[in-house]
This record gives sequence, C-alpha cells and structure tokens, in this order.
Amino acid sequence: MFSFIESFRSAISSIRAHGFRSFLTTLGIIIGVASTIAVVSVIQGLSFSINKQFEGLGSNSISIRSHTSRNESFKGKISRITDNDLNAIKRNSSGIAFITPQLGSTVGGTNAIQYQGRQSFAQVAGSTHNYQNVQNIDLKLGRFISYSDNQTRRKVVVIGHELIEDLELPKNPLGEFINYAGEWLKIIGVAEPKGSFFGFSQDNFAILPYNTMKGLNGNLQRPDIFVQLQLKDIAQLELIKERLTRILRREHRLKSNEENDFKIETPEQLTSGISAIIDTMTIVLGGIVSISLIVGGIGIMNIMLVSVTERTREIGICKAIGAKRHHILLQFLIEAIVLSLFGGVIGIILGYGLGLLASASIPGFPPANVPLWAIGLAFGFSAFVGILFGILPAAKAANLDPIDALRYE
Amino acid sequence: MSLISLNNVCKYYEMGNQTVKALDNINLTIEKNEYIAFTGSSGSGKSTMMNILGCLDKPTTGEYFLNQKKVSLLSQDELSEIRNKEIGFIFQSFNLLSRASALHNVMLPLVYKGIRLEERKRLALESLSKVNLIDRASHIPSELSGGQRQRVAIARALVTNPSILLADEPTGNLDTQTTKDIMALFDQLHSDGQTIIMVTHEEEIAKHCHRVVRLSDGKVLEDYLNPTSKSYLNREDTANV
Repeated sequence: MFSFIESFRSAISSIRAHGFRSFLTTLGIIIGVASTIAVVSVIQGLSFSINKQFEGLGSNSISIRSHTSRNESFKGKISRITDNDLNAIKRNSSGIAFITPQLGSTVGGTNAIQYQGRQSFAQVAGSTHNYQNVQNIDLKLGRFISYSDNQTRRKVVVIGHELIEDLELPKNPLGEFINYAGEWLKIIGVAEPKGSFFGFSQDNFAILPYNTMKGLNGNLQRPDIFVQLQLKDIAQLELIKERLTRILRREHRLKSNEENDFKIETPEQLTSGISAIIDTMTIVLGGIVSISLIVGGIGIMNIMLVSVTERTREIGICKAIGAKRHHILLQFLIEAIVLSLFGGVIGIILGYGLGLLASASIPGFPPANVPLWAIGLAFGFSAFVGILFGILPAAKAANLDPIDALRYE
Repeated sequence: MSLISLNNVCKYYEMGNQTVKALDNINLTIEKNEYIAFTGSSGSGKSTMMNILGCLDKPTTGEYFLNQKKVSLLSQDELSEIRNKEIGFIFQSFNLLSRASALHNVMLPLVYKGIRLEERKRLALESLSKVNLIDRASHIPSELSGGQRQRVAIARALVTNPSILLADEPTGNLDTQTTKDIMALFDQLHSDGQTIIMVTHEEEIAKHCHRVVRLSDGKVLEDYLNPTSKSYLNREDTANV
C-alpha cells in the first residue's frame, strides 16, 4: 500500500511535469470515450422516448392488421381485414371492452384536404368514438366524434392542430367546412397539439366517423381495416388472442398449412421489437466507436514507450539508489492508468455535452439520456485500456538494467 | 570480518567471439572507515570494479562479501535493497532527477526504504544541512551550480546512512575551486567515520585518500598506503600486495 501511494505520487508529478504532452496522450481516450458516450446517450434518449410514447397506447390493448407475406405479394394477392371480419369479431366480443376500427382512405390514393383553395396532406382515417380513448386525444375546441355521428354517417371531422395553420383556417375553425374526397366536412373538434415524434408531426390528422369514411370510399375497393381492441382484463390477453386468430382464420378460409394473413399485436410486442432494434443499434454503434478507445490506448502505449526511453537514465538513477522492479513497474503503470482515467472523465463530460448538443440540434429528436451503466462501462474500459497498454512500457522500464540505464545518454 | 572482501572475483564480457577480462582474479579487503581510491587508465577495470562494489553488477566468478552478506548470490531486487541500505552513490554527472527539487532528490532513496513522508522530509533536511545546502532545498538542479548539485548528490547518498560512500569521478565535472570544496567535504565525512570508496583517474584526487589501489587490465597493479594523505590512517595491514 505504501509503495502504491508513493508510485501514485510520482506518477502524478510526472504527468504534471509533462502537462501538454499528457493532455495530447489522453486525447485519444477522450475522443474515444466522448464518442461512445455521445452515441449511447442519443440512442438511449431515443429508446426512452419511444417507450414513453408506447405507454400511451395502454397495455391492455390489442391491434389487428392485415399482413401480406412476401410470397403472397409476389402472387399479386393482398390480404385485408374486412367488415365481415370486424362483424365476426363483434359477434364474439366477450372479454373485449371496445372495438375501434380505423379505416384509411382508398379514394384515388390521395389524402388532400382543401379549404379555400389551399390544400394539406394529412393522415385521414375513419373511426369511432372509442378512438379518442385509445389514442389519448385531448380536445382543445369542440367535441369528438360521437356514437350517433357514426350511426348517421354525419359529414363531420375532428382535426389536428397543424391543419389550422396549413389551411389557414380561422383561429376557431369550428363550423367551418373543409373538402375531402369531394365531400364537404364540418369541423366539430380540434385536438390539443402533441408535438412531433421522430421528426413526424403528430398534429397532422383528420378523423371522420367510420361509416362516413366507408361511404366516401364507396364500393370501388374492398376496405382494409385496422382494428384496435381494448380488453377488459389483461390476464385474458393470450386467450383472446387465440380466439381472434381462430375467428380470422375461419373468416379468411385459411387451410391449416397456410400462414396467417393478418397480425395480432400487443403494445409489448411493438415496444420489444423496437427495443431489440435499439439494443442492436447501441451495440453496433458503441462497438464501432469503442474501436477509437483501443486506438487511444495504443496512443498511450506509444507515448509511454517514448517516455520510458526518454527517462531511461532517470530509471537507472532510481534503481541505483534502491528502487526495486515493482517500484518502477507501479509508477509507469499507474501513470498510464491515471492518464486513461483522466481521459475517461473528460470524455464522459464531453460526450454527454455532445449528446445533448446532437439531440438539441436535430429537430424533433428526443433529449439525450446517459445511463449509469454507460458511464461505468466507459470508465472501466478506459482503466482497462490503461492497464492493458501500460503493462508493456512499465515492464520495459522495470526490467532495465541499472548499469545500461545509467550509461544511457 | 572486513566490511568488504572480494575473493577471486572475475568479470568477463563477451564481445563477439572474444572474451574481455574486465576484472581478473581480484582479492581485496576494505575495512570500516577506510578512504580508498581506485585509479588506473581507462579500460583498466575501474568502472567494472565500481559496478561490482556498488552491487549494480554481479561478478562472473568469485565471491563478494559486503557486511558479511554474500552479495554475489542475490537477485536483482535483493541487490536493489542492498544498494538502498548499504551504499550511497555519487556520480560524475551528479545524476539528480532534473524536475525534482533538491529536497525531493534527497528524499527519493527513503521512499524505496519505505519511510513515511514527514520522516523523509526531516531526514532529508538533516542530510542537506550536513552539506550546507539547507537554504537551497526547494531549488531544482538546473537552478544550482555544479558544486551545489554534487553536494545535493552527496546529501542523497548520505541520507540512508549507508555503510559505504561510493564516488565515481566525483569531481570530474567540476572546476578547480569547487573540486577543492567537494574534496574538503569528503575529507570531513571521512573524519566523521564514513567509509569512502572513490574511483578516479586524477592523481590529485587520489592523494586525498589514505589508500590507493591502482588497476591495470583488470588486475591490481599496486595497493599502497598514502603517507601524504591528510587523513592518513596507520593501518599497514591493509596493504596486502
């Protein structure tokens, strides 16, 4: 312990004596740790905010969408969830609280909404009154679509906040009419702004009653419905999932050897899928940038080797007056470790700053989030680099012959 | 038993396919409080003698006893310990650590001895006061004159209270006046009871010592007592050649 403290003391004084060079030596580690932390913090920030977004979906909901496998699509077959499917689900709705169908537009493939000669491309969907609960929509003005709106196919619409600006609608647009797919729809509600997610606006939508949308789409194409189900009890999730699969396979007349042409998803599935992608991204990007840590370590080794050569005579003096191998070894090893750890600390601070800067400068990007494990990892890794690349120069110094070292010019 | 005794000590170096006999069958004893100079032309084996006596190097064959310890069998780390405890080195080129103050230079051997900081400081200041440099303790070597640097080196050699002071051409880099001062310091240390072994090619320096060993081609050519030495000791028995 004594020799450890003394070695630490002399390592510090040697680092201070070569201040600028020590800084340059640690630069490799600083850059390595900073980039690792920056990348990890941005990705973790992303994952954090995605998880938060999905919390809004509610954990006891199930969604059903059509799924066309690659093979099927080559054959020109497109899978759909149809009204018949929806009705079949409605007939077997025990354990299900709400069924919320959503219907996109199939009219000419355009989602243009017009108002006084201006137009905007919004996400237009037809749905029922339950949609408000499922999507957590708060209204700023007016009301949401009601049950009777849907039953009587009223030509009404609830719009996202952004449409007001895009179409230059009046501040209070309730009662104004906008044109969609050749029909005039009356604005009955405006949603509170939600901000953007991944750079995509979440305020750029228009919701009309499900049956109104069906009417607008007409009979040209069979609709493809996206269905969200709210369960009464989450414990029944697997049971209900199985039942829905059975119903849909029967409705679609699938043979036992055919794959499902639909997907039943839970929010956990969605989040875990995205989490898996994010974890892979973290590992791959973290791995790439941590290569720079190894390069930084080699830089330290390089300078330490130069330093050993440069201080050969000094080492000889120390040995002549009684330094043992472990004194010299510890001194140089500690010097390397202190340099790396110093670089690690600066790197963590710098990397965090870079992460904040990156998230702040990319519009719509979630704020950076540095997990503790990343800091621990960066710190541990830089200490490891210090030991790994400090060993060789330190051993070289410790094994110097005192006579040769004293004679060294 | 003598402080130092060399029995049939040989040191050979392999130079290509040729063997150079740097020391050839040396038998020698040195007693406590001797003031002895090894002289000889370059290549005579002075430096090798100094390295062996200083435990920096081991003899190829033969035995070396220092303070009754058989040094010729010890490992590198054990030799470090012997150097630390028994030997105070003084070099021609001072060999101070350039970025450390005089005080820190003098404290350094005590670090390897495992002495705590406060005690180190006290001992180092005591040692510096012996060489009259207490007021320069905080100066780094480049701020000191040659004579002052050598005095720091002497203080460093003395601080561990060694059995032997081993000085290799201690005045080789100094001017005449400073040489006189440094030699006066050695004389003083000797009269205080310190054993001093010096390696020099200068006759003037050798004259200070009471015993002179002249080496040539790795052999002892002469070993005589110096009657003109101020610090002459009446010890006829040591002149064994």
